[in-house]
Amino acid sequence: MRFTKAGLAVTLTAGLALTGCASGSGSSTSQTSKNITLGNILAPATFEARNMNWGNQSVYAQAVYDGLLKPAPNGKDVQPSLATKWEYNTNKTVLTLTLRDGVVFSDGTPFTAEVAAQNLLRFRDGTSPQKSKVADLADAKAKDKTTLEITLKQANPAFLIYLAQAAGLQESPAAFGKADAQTNPVGSGPYTLNTSQTVVGTSYKFEKNPKYWDANSVKYDTLTVNVYTDATSELNALRGKQLDAAAVADNSILPQVEAAGFKSNGQNLNFAGLLLFDRAGKSNPALGNVKVRQAINYAVDAAALLKVVGLGRGEATGQVFRPESPAYEGTLNSTYKFDPDKARKLLADAGYASGLELTVPTAALFPKSLWPLLQQQLGDVGIKVKYVDTGTNTIADLQAQKYGLSYFTLQRDANDWQLISNMIAPNATWNTFKYQDPNVDALLATIRTGSEADSAAALKKLNEYVVDQAWFAPWYAPTNYFVTNAGTSVELNQGNVWPNLWNITPKA
Amino acid sequence: MLTFIGRRLLTGVALLAAITTFGFTLLYFGGGDIARKILGENADQQTVALKAQQLGLDRPVLVQYGDWISHAVRGDLGASWFSGQPVLDAIGSRLSVTLSLVTGAIILIAVISVVLGVLAATRRGWVDRIAQLLAIVGHAIPGFLFAVGLVLVFALTLGWFDPTGYVPFLDSPTGWAKTVTLPVIALALGGIASVTQQVRGSVIDALRNDYVRTLRSRGIPARRVVLKHVLRNAAGPALAVLAVYFVGLLGGAVIVEQVFAIPGLGQVAVQATTQGDIPLVMGLLVATGILVIIFNLLVDLAQGWLNPKVRLS
Repeated sequence: MRFTKAGLAVTLTAGLALTGCASGSGSSTSQTSKNITLGNILAPATFEARNMNWGNQSVYAQAVYDGLLKPAPNGKDVQPSLATKWEYNTNKTVLTLTLRDGVVFSDGTPFTAEVAAQNLLRFRDGTSPQKSKVADLADAKAKDKTTLEITLKQANPAFLIYLAQAAGLQESPAAFGKADAQTNPVGSGPYTLNTSQTVVGTSYKFEKNPKYWDANSVKYDTLTVNVYTDATSELNALRGKQLDAAAVADNSILPQVEAAGFKSNGQNLNFAGLLLFDRAGKSNPALGNVKVRQAINYAVDAAALLKVVGLGRGEATGQVFRPESPAYEGTLNSTYKFDPDKARKLLADAGYASGLELTVPTAALFPKSLWPLLQQQLGDVGIKVKYVDTGTNTIADLQAQKYGLSYFTLQRDANDWQLISNMIAPNATWNTFKYQDPNVDALLATIRTGSEADSAAALKKLNEYVVDQAWFAPWYAPTNYFVTNAGTSVELNQGNVWPNLWNITPKA
Repeated sequence: MLTFIGRRLLTGVALLAAITTFGFTLLYFGGGDIARKILGENADQQTVALKAQQLGLDRPVLVQYGDWISHAVRGDLGASWFSGQPVLDAIGSRLSVTLSLVTGAIILIAVISVVLGVLAATRRGWVDRIAQLLAIVGHAIPGFLFAVGLVLVFALTLGWFDPTGYVPFLDSPTGWAKTVTLPVIALALGGIASVTQQVRGSVIDALRNDYVRTLRSRGIPARRVVLKHVLRNAAGPALAVLAVYFVGLLGGAVIVEQVFAIPGLGQVAVQATTQGDIPLVMGLLVATGILVIIFNLLVDLAQGWLNPKVRLS
């Protein structure tokens, strides 16, 4: 019997055709200059504007919704969107926005200040993972059809950037509370979701919104976002030229991706290291001693961890603020230069000459190569590390104050107040033990309401203080990559892991 | 026959009840803080508590299970906690994808195994040795590795097929064939190895029977004896192995769909189980349970048709 390639294909096709059914959607696409297919590592948890997340899910939101404002690529400034002008009162607690007239949602409902007020209040009262960002929102009222007045409980230097992210998304009021609101978004954004061509959790197909108010800014007729939870399948899709651009979760695939002709566009968005939550020593008295926290910083060879765990992609750092921030001070990076002898001396001075034991949570979402190195390096100075596997419950366990410290990768937000609200302020999500320090409180008050110069000076002092008190043990800023093919350009967003959708364009 | 089918269906319902009770218990006690998992790392504790309340997670486990059962028997499997998509929609949109892979694999296994098994049993010699070698190789290579190898060679190097994704048949038959061929082959490998061995053994056994000698002595051609009489008797054990393999294929689809990024039940099962998406996992348990029950029933009926002695028993 002779087998040929064509014969084999025909035989298999004929056999398998018997079982063919129509459902789902294709992720294999034929590329033209008017269509783009992107790869993502996460699916949206919901398309309901009031509950939407950001980060890796921002691409879905920006496809179907407009924000009141747009984030600038530097991640901290904002640009006009549905709001064309905005102004604070003198104590920065009342924000008045002038809204664009003539905008309609994809269902034909007009966008007005009343709609914007409803969206904001719904976001505040919903269950968005971003909800804490509008904790200062007291009220939102329409003064007239195009004027929105937002009242804050207290000044919030990050509020404008929040309005350019999830909190500012505008959904048609006709869709509020609809049974399919989570899977069938109705916005005024550049695209509409084609629900019949979408497989929830796997592939999302968007089509150009014919009613979009800024039609010239939309560069593609269709946008497809495919989700790859497995690095191997994402690599295969990239090597098979099935994607035009993609966010990469696992940097180990980059050499092969680059060999396939993709450009790696990187930015050092996060920091990786230990978060020393329990600064009061509630879970472990040793962690309440600043000398112990400093010893932990001295004991770890961050450069080695960057090389082994971070695969050399990133830069060593000793602080949580970004280099572009007024808080940043280059010399702070060497405050705790790797020095095991100094670590041992600090432990002895703190009363732990004979050593101490720390319980550290581990999980599949953390890099496996880290654990033996960390155990060895801390063990060398007399800190015995006991690992506890948290399974899939890591975040909940950390937030429930079960661990006084943990390895983690946290975003270094471009907007400093956003960063502070996430990891330093007394009520910050990642200040899990809600530790409060009067020195920090005083500096935060100045940063919150002070002039630009006063705020910048206070930021610098805050950073120095946090480093001195060893609230964290930052090791390195890993590089996040967004890869693009030869026909696609991108301008990264310094405030988010995903670029703004409108900054992904066909190469001229 | 109707009594037989009715009894099998009743057993199936009891089996489904046992599977869902066991599944719910495992998910409930192993799921961790679901509300936190849904909202992610940046949500504050108050929002997490509010979400848990919205989902009814603050109620006792028995109340939650009772609620699920009372809705499920009315055909309401709820909505995914992580995407908001109705569970029936999530399963419906993916069922045909997985079924096309599994059915394709079953057909491939059946055809290749019967041809190879019969040839090995009747010709012996080098044909038999090749069949034995293929069986060993088929068992030895892990499905995941084989799938990756297929992608590397036939999709990325030769470019004959798509490395990832799925195109519905009605959208493009060619595109569909390019997306399902490699996953089907990857799924079928282990089954071909096992069923070929089973067919070979059964045919060899059948060939030793007196009735075969009698048929041959009457001058009936060997090919006719094998195809009409021997194969019919040997099909029973092979069908039994195939039925077992059907369940295995549903499991194998989990890995294959991950490697090929195919939006089938396996892929969503991995995601939903990892996340602790109880409504979706429970829906998947019900769907796969029903599939397995139906397939086993069909195999029993086929065996009865092939062999009247089975029907009588």
